[in-house]
Amino acid sequence: MEIPTPTEGHSCCEEFARASGATRRGFLRGVGALGGAAAVTAVHGTAFTETAYAAAPVDRVLVVLSMRGACDGLSLVVPHGDPTYYLARPGIAVPKDRLLGADSFFGLHPALAPLMPWWTAGQMAAVHATGLPAPNRSHFSAMEELEDADPGSSARVGWLNRLVGRNGTGSPIEAIQFGGGVPVTALAGPEPVLVADDVDSVSLSGYWDAGSEAKRRSSLNRLWTGVPGPLGAGARNAFAVVDDFAPVRGSSPTPAGGATYPRYSDLGAALAAAARTIRADVGAEIITVDHGSWDHHTWIGSPDSGNLRTMADEFAACLAAFLTDLGTLASKVTIVTVSEFGRRVKENASQGLDHGYGNVMFLLGAGVRGGRYYGTWPGLQNTVDADLLVTTDYRSVLAEVVTQRFGASSAAVFPGFSPTSVGVVQPG
Amino acid sequence: MTPLSTLPPAPTQEQQSRRAVGRALAGGLAALAVAPALAGGVAQAAEAKKAPRKWHRCKVHKKHTCWHATTCKHRKHKPPKDDGGKDPKGPDDPGTPPPPQVPGSYDGPAVVDGLPTALALHVGSRFTYGVTPALVAEMAAYPSLQAWIDAQLQPAALPDPAGDALEGWWPALSWDAPRMWAEEQARNGAAWEAMSDYQRWCLLRRITSRRQLFEAVTELFEDHLHVPVHDDGVFGFRVDYGRTIRAHALGRFDDMLVATTTHPAMGISLDNATSTKKAPNENLGRELLELHTVGRGHYTEDDVKASARILTGYRVTTWSTWRVYYDPASHWTGPVTVMGFSDQNAAADGRPVTEAYLRYLAHHRGTAERLARKLAVRFVSDDPSPALVQHLADVYQQAQTAIVPVLRALLESEEFRGSAGLKVRTPSDDIVATWRALAVQPSAPGTDDAAANAILWQTVALGQAPFDWARPDGQPQDGAAWSSVSRVLASFDSHYSMCGGWWPKGSLTYRPLASWVPLSGTDTMRFDALVEHLSRQLLSRSASARLQEACGLATGLSASTKISLKSDLVKWNMPTLLTTVLDNPEHMTR
Repeated sequence: MEIPTPTEGHSCCEEFARASGATRRGFLRGVGALGGAAAVTAVHGTAFTETAYAAAPVDRVLVVLSMRGACDGLSLVVPHGDPTYYLARPGIAVPKDRLLGADSFFGLHPALAPLMPWWTAGQMAAVHATGLPAPNRSHFSAMEELEDADPGSSARVGWLNRLVGRNGTGSPIEAIQFGGGVPVTALAGPEPVLVADDVDSVSLSGYWDAGSEAKRRSSLNRLWTGVPGPLGAGARNAFAVVDDFAPVRGSSPTPAGGATYPRYSDLGAALAAAARTIRADVGAEIITVDHGSWDHHTWIGSPDSGNLRTMADEFAACLAAFLTDLGTLASKVTIVTVSEFGRRVKENASQGLDHGYGNVMFLLGAGVRGGRYYGTWPGLQNTVDADLLVTTDYRSVLAEVVTQRFGASSAAVFPGFSPTSVGVVQPG
Repeated sequence: MTPLSTLPPAPTQEQQSRRAVGRALAGGLAALAVAPALAGGVAQAAEAKKAPRKWHRCKVHKKHTCWHATTCKHRKHKPPKDDGGKDPKGPDDPGTPPPPQVPGSYDGPAVVDGLPTALALHVGSRFTYGVTPALVAEMAAYPSLQAWIDAQLQPAALPDPAGDALEGWWPALSWDAPRMWAEEQARNGAAWEAMSDYQRWCLLRRITSRRQLFEAVTELFEDHLHVPVHDDGVFGFRVDYGRTIRAHALGRFDDMLVATTTHPAMGISLDNATSTKKAPNENLGRELLELHTVGRGHYTEDDVKASARILTGYRVTTWSTWRVYYDPASHWTGPVTVMGFSDQNAAADGRPVTEAYLRYLAHHRGTAERLARKLAVRFVSDDPSPALVQHLADVYQQAQTAIVPVLRALLESEEFRGSAGLKVRTPSDDIVATWRALAVQPSAPGTDDAAANAILWQTVALGQAPFDWARPDGQPQDGAAWSSVSRVLASFDSHYSMCGGWWPKGSLTYRPLASWVPLSGTDTMRFDALVEHLSRQLLSRSASARLQEACGLATGLSASTKISLKSDLVKWNMPTLLTTVLDNPEHMTR
């Protein structure tokens, strides 16, 4: 017999599950729950009870896009009606006549052009001067604070973990992070989640036919059952999710609707994986993706070139491809962007911007009352350390999404916080 | 900081070993660590001076001894009653029993009957990139485990032919900045590849170098003072930056901080290289405080501004000549104050004030605690006790920021001895440890397929290429960060792929699969004896019952099955058996 190659496939897994009379998803869970000697029995086809339930298909999906590194909201959504903006940024301001979708006060950076079809169709909105309740200029601590979203508590549980926990079936497939490798704070907590680099990485190797697969799985279960610590949990999550994810792996990797994601873009790859997952309808309700770094201390640049333009181009092209890829499925997907803080009003010596405070949030897709700008404008100051002040707590925006779209309790997801109405998301 | 004079009296002659002092320090400082509201080192020291030197031992936390007669919380602890009364929770005891101390002695031999003692295995798992039969043989050549540690702490005196042999493998590592730029302009992507080569060189050093502890400590500081290898424009200086950290990794942190903060790679990465006095760029000034030294909570926004002003003047002419120079005309002058540091800063040449400022930061209590915690998280556990962190911070300050004394104190702590197996092996460490365990032999890389090059794609597939963390805070060191579903599955995949000898394949010699079976001719052995043999070879320990069962499940063989070189197992299923040993928590944790 030839030595099997490691690249051989996963398709036999389903075949084996059918042959053994077990459901695909019940198979591994049963083994995992029983373990040891019992597992040997199980893999030889004895009936067993399914111990956990896979996620059910969902009709609402939340995609959270984190613009890591603190993007400059004043460049992305320009307050052209505030004269201080131009005084403070002689080298990097975006001229009014270059803005897109402008109203009497705000306008979008020209790099967001690919998203204009959704803006004009009323499916994209911006909320300005949002942020944390108090300034926090540390990237790392501000991200923690923003994603934890529970200032009174020392428990490390992120807001998305609380959201998925409200009615969670305990399946890790309900909340997925694509890309990044390291779980983000927003997902941290007791509910199991899936953190994967891409679709294909959610697969088990090391077997070449149904018999060897069964042996492989039972031995891995023996190795990891009862192992304490995060890696034990990660391994058991992996065993639980690898079958549930088979429909996604089996789906076409070609984006739908002629969508083209930018090449070599981590954000594009993550959103393409997200679209594929949503299309396969395996029960993923929350998907997070990261886009960074927006930490532009130098050379914000002109409207046509520079660090910000490069990032904004990628951001817009990826989101436009994602919405195109989703097609009619976009009617169940709401996208919201967050960034840990905004940047200073005044440019620095390097035509860049140092760490500031208030920022913009974008919302796209289902339920968004789009084509306009939200928020209360605080007015800008032109001093060396002036910030865009925060007039809308970012949790008010997120709370509107989770209550209006997901029927969640704001108090459960954002403990101790009383949201104010923003009006950017409609019920339903 | 706590002066030495307030520490417990010296032990009696027969107790006088480094470890005894270490324990006394740890015990005594536990009390300091819980002083009300952490009122600051000075206040604690003063309090310690006033308190009568009367020792007590906590009746609950038996390891706790100190001389705080009135303020120690342990004074109130009563032993638990037999009727199951609640165990009072001490500040350094969250209620769960401490893990067992690994048996073994530093002063005794590291290896007994061919296997490392539990302590030697633990020390090896933490301070090398994987305990192998070769390492065990090396440890056995020293009179004691301590002697091996002492040798590792003086890497310059350790001949390292295997590590040295790597020097010529990647020519780009010797390019200076102008050469790098010329190569990049001649061929787009050359600089990116040069950085990839640097990552590969680091990985191969971790696999082959005899100076294992040095490599591990270097990695920690290169992550701490992180300059992402693919950050814009750093390529011309990044290799030298890594060598700069190597030069100080077992030296003093104050020297290291001066050398790295003023290094062009750091200046480019965090924008100080383009900062001017007119509008100083705050990026490095802030991260120096937040990430490299004292951490949040010690400084204000005004301190950040002053920090950035002090650092102005270190310039690099980027994207043209790559000239590195100090520009007095760019240096902000005028009085500066950052926390407790003040200077008139009147001279246009700001280098002396910069160095004084950096040394002030390096010696600061906040820096001591941050580094102490970082070392403890890398080498002890994800959540080291405040007492251990305080103790290591004390040692660091008393040693004038020297790193070796801190490592010694860490090794001597009971907490270290109680932490075996608690750390998750990071993905890149998993790859490195897998190469070491399988005893593969790479040769100089000629093509991209060569294993010494392909190893980088192995770490990319697991989500953690060296020094490629995009943010300036450096990659996380805790287990939760490296336990994602895709990491676990990718680890299994890489183990299997290497156990079969399938990939990486080029310029790499795998052991013949049959060589893992210690048989010749028509001899036979029981299957469980083979598993025991493999566990000793790959994991340097006796096979656990769990591993025995898992190997049985993976192969369908029973413990008593007779194995010969003609068995089906040996002929075609060895990859499955080997990967089962490596997919084991004992290989994926350390």
